[in-house]
Amino acid sequence: MNLGRLIRRHAWSHPVRAFLTVGAVAVAIFLFCFLRSIVTSLDAAVKESASNRIVAASAVSLFQSLPLAYKEAIEAVDGVESVSRFAWFGGRYKKPENFFAQFGCDARTLFSQYPELVLPEGQAEAFIADRTGAIIGIGLAEKYDLKVGDEVPLIGTIYPRADRSMWSFTVRGIYRSKRANVDEMTMYFHFHYLDEALESGESYGPRGTSVYLIRLQDGYRGEDVAAAIDRYYEGGPQRTRTQSEAAFQADFVNMLGNLPTFLMMIGMAVLIAIVFGIVNTMTIAARERLRSMGIMLSLGFSRSVPARLYLVEATGFALTGGVAGVALAFLTQGALRKTFGTQIPMYTVASETYVWAAVICVITGLIGGAVPAWQASRMEAVEQLRRGI
Amino acid sequence: MNDPVIQMRGVSKAYRKGGQVLHVLEGLDMDVRVGEFLALMGPSGSGKSTILNLIGGLDDPDAGVIHVAGEDVSTLTGDRLATWRARNIGYVFQAFNLIPVLTAQENVELPLLLTPLSKAQRREQARYALEIVGLGDRRDHRPKQLSGGQEQRVAIARAFAMDPTILLCDEPTGDLDRDSADQVLELLRRLAVESNKTIVMVTHDLKAGEMASRVLQLDKGVVEDAPA
Repeated sequence: MNLGRLIRRHAWSHPVRAFLTVGAVAVAIFLFCFLRSIVTSLDAAVKESASNRIVAASAVSLFQSLPLAYKEAIEAVDGVESVSRFAWFGGRYKKPENFFAQFGCDARTLFSQYPELVLPEGQAEAFIADRTGAIIGIGLAEKYDLKVGDEVPLIGTIYPRADRSMWSFTVRGIYRSKRANVDEMTMYFHFHYLDEALESGESYGPRGTSVYLIRLQDGYRGEDVAAAIDRYYEGGPQRTRTQSEAAFQADFVNMLGNLPTFLMMIGMAVLIAIVFGIVNTMTIAARERLRSMGIMLSLGFSRSVPARLYLVEATGFALTGGVAGVALAFLTQGALRKTFGTQIPMYTVASETYVWAAVICVITGLIGGAVPAWQASRMEAVEQLRRGI
Repeated sequence: MNDPVIQMRGVSKAYRKGGQVLHVLEGLDMDVRVGEFLALMGPSGSGKSTILNLIGGLDDPDAGVIHVAGEDVSTLTGDRLATWRARNIGYVFQAFNLIPVLTAQENVELPLLLTPLSKAQRREQARYALEIVGLGDRRDHRPKQLSGGQEQRVAIARAFAMDPTILLCDEPTGDLDRDSADQVLELLRRLAVESNKTIVMVTHDLKAGEMASRVLQLDKGVVEDAPA
């Protein structure tokens, strides 16, 4: 017999209430981990962006294409190592609801510009050699059960085909990403394939490219090269807005408005609600146990003992629920990455989120136990025993 | 049996209830000697339970001095009072007051956590105390699985296991049928005689009074000796 056993017996003396309390904490902690992970995953893409890549887009809007003729001029700017066109395709896989990101790009420069892309041997070459070939991220391959050699039929939305047929691509490679700034839910195909179809009239849509991705030569600062490009096109025909990859990624996040702040506010509201829940549970439990605590005082236990019992019990509830919530967050990472892959391609629960969850559980438990603990520390044994006599 | 283990001098206690002041004890003087089995009798509200609470340090007197087991109880506070109570006082209540989520064995072991005994020693001492009260075969039963008489015997075992100087019993037979009450009274008498424990018992039960070595009748906070 020890006080730990007394705490456990008290905690589980109402199994349904205990289960509901632990379950509520588990759900709250899972939601906290999930919402925070959305924010940190978006942030990670910005933070891990390469410093030797810059992106030139239209100064008017990201949705405005840049002329194809800009490529040569940008290549000539001092400090530029290579330039790749990136055309946002916006197709739908087989059915309108199946959406993922697709980019038409310059296949040869893609791999030198993006060393983050890792493919099994021979697949990069196979992609480069096939005009209708494509490479897809491992997340995409798993989501749609695609293998090398499979056909990927896409419904053109920005670029519909004139005969209303679907675009057809062949999977030539499946890549993994080494860093969070490059997701595994995207398809890359040959820009030429798209451009030739537009040229021949097989398809129609805006000519040009969504952005130019520029890799810098060693020793050049992104800001200087970006400023040089923007200066060059200051007078048109279309002005450019060139920025670091990190700033470009941040723009995407900013397009979501104050979503990260909003998500964190929801997360905090959920946690505050659960603190109230635990305080409520512990207050009810404490009221039920006034007599037991009075008995303990009459047996010679000091007033701090009942107070500590409440604190430990509440913290135990919070930690048990927290462990369940964190486990749920950990185990559902893969499934959530698939489910929200298009919006949050590299959804991952960061290790610091687990630490935060643990800290929150301890604080929640201590707050939850503080009210009955404070009441217990002021309790008079006679008053509590008199209730039962 | 001549040394007073409890000395109360000029003890007064009043309670406020609904804006009115209720004087329960006024200038009470009382001695209880080592090994005495004292019964406090009297009508409800005469201050019997108040005396027990004052002796056990569960309540403070408004005036007067209370010496129990060599200590001026009214000067003890906080952890010192708790430690003193654990060493010297054992309680037996009318409502048994066992912790409902613990077994009989665990209830008896609970106060032993306050002693320096090892886990094995605590277990053995609790087992022995339960054997003494005749409940060796009910160790793993929870209070709601026991009869009232058995619950009260567990409560006595819990008090006895701590080997206290004084056993304070507040209407120990109040919630029991006659047979169970007789068993409990016999147990208390044996403890007083065989273990030389000082027992102060509040009771309305005339038969309980007959078991005691001395009876004090209380009326409006005033003590009168009565023949045992």
